[in-house]
Amino acid sequence: MTTLLEVTGLTTKVSGFTILNGLDLSVEEQELRVLLGPNGAGKTTLIAMITGQFKPFSGTIRFAGQDITGWAPDAIFQTGISRKFQVPNMYETLSVFDNVMVSLRGRRRVFATLFQVLRAAERDRIWDILEFVGLADKANDPADTLSHGERQWLELGMLIASDPKLLLLDEPTTGMTESDKHRTAELIHEIAKSHTVLLVEHDMHIVRQIGKRVTVLHQGQRLAEGPLAEVMSNELVRQVYLGKGKFQ
Amino acid sequence: MTLQVAAIETFYGTSHILHGVSLELADGELYAVLGRNGAGKTTLLRSITGVNPPKKGTITLDGVDITRIKPHKRARIGISYVPQGRDIIADITAAENIQVALLGKGVKSRKIPDFVFDYFPALAPLMKLKGGVLSGGQQQQLAIARALVQEPKLLLMDEPTEGLQPSVVEEIDTIIKRIPGERGCAVLLVEQNLDFVRDITQKFAILDTGRIVAGGDIGELTAEVVQRHLAV
Amino acid sequence: MVRDKAGKPAGKRRRSIRRAPLFPFWAVIGGAALVASIGAYPYYSTNIYVLTLVGKFLCYAIFALSIDLIWGFTGILSLGQAVYFGLGAYMVALSLKLNYALTHPTRFGNKIPDFMEWNSLTQVPGFMTPLYSTPVAIAAALVVPTLFALLFGAITFKRHIYGVYCAVITLAESLILQNFIIEYQAYTGGFNGITDYSNYVGPSFLWFILAVTVFFVIVARVLTHSRVGTVLKSIRDNDLRAEFMGYNVANYRIFVFCVSAFMAAAAGGMYAAWVGIISFLNVGPIFSIEGVIWTAVGGRGTLIGPVIGAFLVKGAEAFLSDRLADWWQIIVGALFILVVLVMRDGIVGTAMEWVQRRRRGSYRQILADADRAAHDLQMDWRTEGAPRSGEEVR
Repeated sequence: MTTLLEVTGLTTKVSGFTILNGLDLSVEEQELRVLLGPNGAGKTTLIAMITGQFKPFSGTIRFAGQDITGWAPDAIFQTGISRKFQVPNMYETLSVFDNVMVSLRGRRRVFATLFQVLRAAERDRIWDILEFVGLADKANDPADTLSHGERQWLELGMLIASDPKLLLLDEPTTGMTESDKHRTAELIHEIAKSHTVLLVEHDMHIVRQIGKRVTVLHQGQRLAEGPLAEVMSNELVRQVYLGKGKFQ
Repeated sequence: MTLQVAAIETFYGTSHILHGVSLELADGELYAVLGRNGAGKTTLLRSITGVNPPKKGTITLDGVDITRIKPHKRARIGISYVPQGRDIIADITAAENIQVALLGKGVKSRKIPDFVFDYFPALAPLMKLKGGVLSGGQQQQLAIARALVQEPKLLLMDEPTEGLQPSVVEEIDTIIKRIPGERGCAVLLVEQNLDFVRDITQKFAILDTGRIVAGGDIGELTAEVVQRHLAV
Repeated sequence: MVRDKAGKPAGKRRRSIRRAPLFPFWAVIGGAALVASIGAYPYYSTNIYVLTLVGKFLCYAIFALSIDLIWGFTGILSLGQAVYFGLGAYMVALSLKLNYALTHPTRFGNKIPDFMEWNSLTQVPGFMTPLYSTPVAIAAALVVPTLFALLFGAITFKRHIYGVYCAVITLAESLILQNFIIEYQAYTGGFNGITDYSNYVGPSFLWFILAVTVFFVIVARVLTHSRVGTVLKSIRDNDLRAEFMGYNVANYRIFVFCVSAFMAAAAGGMYAAWVGIISFLNVGPIFSIEGVIWTAVGGRGTLIGPVIGAFLVKGAEAFLSDRLADWWQIIVGALFILVVLVMRDGIVGTAMEWVQRRRRGSYRQILADADRAAHDLQMDWRTEGAPRSGEEVR
């Protein structure tokens, strides 16, 4: 398995606070890696860095062999990285269908989209995706009429449409009921069969349902990494993150 | 303290969200309201806090009809609220967040009550930091402290464990268990985390599309009940 | 036939999406009626005053349309759109004035515009001489403002300056140009502006302005109805998501900003030729904000709304201002506040909302949905049920 994402010595400061502190992390192709860690450990910051939202103070990010450190978000997207935000982020007044349509991988430049027509194959793909996330019946509804869980699934659908090599999912089950969370976990498991996924999660039920390899971050550095069971029984991890095991 | 919610009908704009919802909370009880997203749990809390008062039905606190009392007066009558997502004011310090709550209750003193540091020792070194800098778990503790300093009779909490790591959920678990006995108030919480709910609460009610469809002692929250009302 | 796990036929199930047509029936009929009634005006009335107003209003309508493109569809509030209108207007006015001066020499016999003579110039400055040529003047009137917009966009949008700060910068831009024009009165006519050059009020020019208006409305509709329009709307709704979905948000904003400037410039150029007077007022913040008010009152994001808004507000002003004089500005301001408080979507927007709400659940809608479901079923039958005999399964 080749290394798809390689983060080396990543350090970043926000308003004087060091969030990431010389972080090293690598993700293999076709992996489903779970990223755990306390709030403030740097998980969302790491994803923000990888996707180009902020420039790091030092360190490098390599994706598919290319150094993408400091690139702009839209350029990084083109290399094949798609990001899901913690809070569902979509185009509120556009229909569910259009939300997915506009996310399809393909033309992005102004003059390229000027006379772009939706091809039949693309339309089919959108319907396939909508059916996969269970929103086919709501295709015509504006995105702001969806329930919270549906919004999370819509954003997931938009990401699938963008056909990425690497999916960065930042707590995609926030605010969902337990059953919705299970469903989302199944969706992610399915997606991971053909994509590389880096998943940030807090809900240990989900992590156990689909996680195999886990990385734990703490105070901007890698605290532990390995198979799920091994990491869960790590004493340090229990101390800073898992607690005594009541809510695992 | 008794809270009686009697057959309330609440709307959100023209949408009829709550249909004839009734529940009763006795002194010192820990009560959970469960339900799928969109079931009306937050609307129920908003009705009790007065932000979205019901069009029909009444809410009574200790025999007094509070249905129409404005939200900013509810702190003074003994209802405090810990919102979903914490809602800590980011630009002021943690101490100031608590002081704002004291002001809302009408307390003249600015001193942070001692019990805050007893319950939340982790907050002690953070008091001078701006609210926005705190981590999620720290913010949750601050939000609970902020509500508790108002000496409420009824504490309302909206998804207190959402987005928190397991060890912090344990801490919150311990803290909430102490509240009814030591602070003398009842707690009504809305939650999705069933392990947490089973561990903490004594009574529960399940909302489904704005109606109470199940309820009772927490022991009655069986897997079958969960499957029937909370599964997709 | 291949079936999936659930036993359903695993062909591609074709469904249809509810899409508004590019040119809805009511819009075509209504638009044609409007165009006809305006175009026929010279035939059923000889009132020059009203004719002049109609021509002006059409220019204002294009101006409001240009604001709707950037504000209603892309979410950029510009409080300085008059800059582009004014630049286009000044180019045309200068050209006309220069040519007029050739045949109408000043008191001292110089064939230069009067305001230049008042400022002790004896000849037309070198950089202005290209404007003698009408084609050059028209090109300058369209291209120079667009280049200005490009420059502005490159400076602000590339640096991720959006929202309130952008609005403030456009306001400053407008004030700067206004002061520049007043200051360099030798070249611009200063406070008095440029006046007394031949104007072209008349049926044929009216039809020309009308044709240009219709053209821009169609272009705006095609643009906003296209994929670019959908991208612009997604940038308006959530530019963060759009950026992380691979769209260069700055480039799209620059693009639509330039298109909008081009339209405003065309409107300004025609206005200058039609009305015969142009001044710093057409460049400044007040006119810019007026345009925003027309767009808001009419309904932003609807294209037709701003056109109607411009006609309504300016029409009311023309009708009422002689009776209400000084009160007029107050009324316009109050109207804006009212719209923001009560009718956020403006007149056309609110009307559309009302129609939509009545449609949902209406008999017509139920029929339409049933039609669509039946159509989908037919398509399914064709791909799944009908005998294939060597046909490729899609």
